[in-house]
Amino acid sequence: MVGLVLISHSGTLVEGLRDMVVQVAGDEVPVAIAGGTQDGRLGTSAPHIAAAIRSTLDAGGDDILVLLDLGSAALSLEIALEDLDVADRARVRVSEAPLVEGAILAAVQASIGASIDEVAAAADGAATMAKLPRA
Amino acid sequence: MPDIRLTVIDPSGLHARPAARFVQTATRFASRITIHHDGRDADAKSLIALLGLTIRPSSEITLEADGPDADQALAALAAELTPYVAAAAEPAG
Repeated sequence: MVGLVLISHSGTLVEGLRDMVVQVAGDEVPVAIAGGTQDGRLGTSAPHIAAAIRSTLDAGGDDILVLLDLGSAALSLEIALEDLDVADRARVRVSEAPLVEGAILAAVQASIGASIDEVAAAADGAATMAKLPRA
Repeated sequence: MPDIRLTVIDPSGLHARPAARFVQTATRFASRITIHHDGRDADAKSLIALLGLTIRPSSEITLEADGPDADQALAALAAELTPYVAAAAEPAG
């Protein structure tokens, strides 16, 4: 099953997001989070991100979709990815999708046993999905 | 092609949790399953499509299934959605 890694500047944000993901998609999808700096401030941490990716790979996630918020999250993620060996790096896909909506759509898609391509596509749909009723 | 009509009774409408249950159930079946709501259609196996219908409380939906396990699929979906929907009243006349 495809696993998810959720990255934010805020640990509180990704903890809450993980709760939402589990409630909507169920608890079978491996989900790891990396939020905040190593000393607990707002920001991102390459070691936190690397640990989250590693835990998801070890938890049996076939492939992993990484969703992130913005700014330096991408830089920290790049550093974390550089430490992976080639085989593990090939199992990690990074999404451009909005973090909250993308994580939930991706998790539901993963929960039905979809491929990494299908899970990534579901997350991408979050950018344009309707939220309000049609006028 | 079999179909069933349901009324959404959950006060939040067909929100993320029931929609996700719906997709997870629908994908267990080979049949093509379509949800009709307010003149629009969505593939019942796509959460994005389903949430995009923005189904409000008290509104009516029709589920239609096409395939070898169509009847079983509709029965399973109706059962899965039980806390959130009720059978729709038959149209008058």
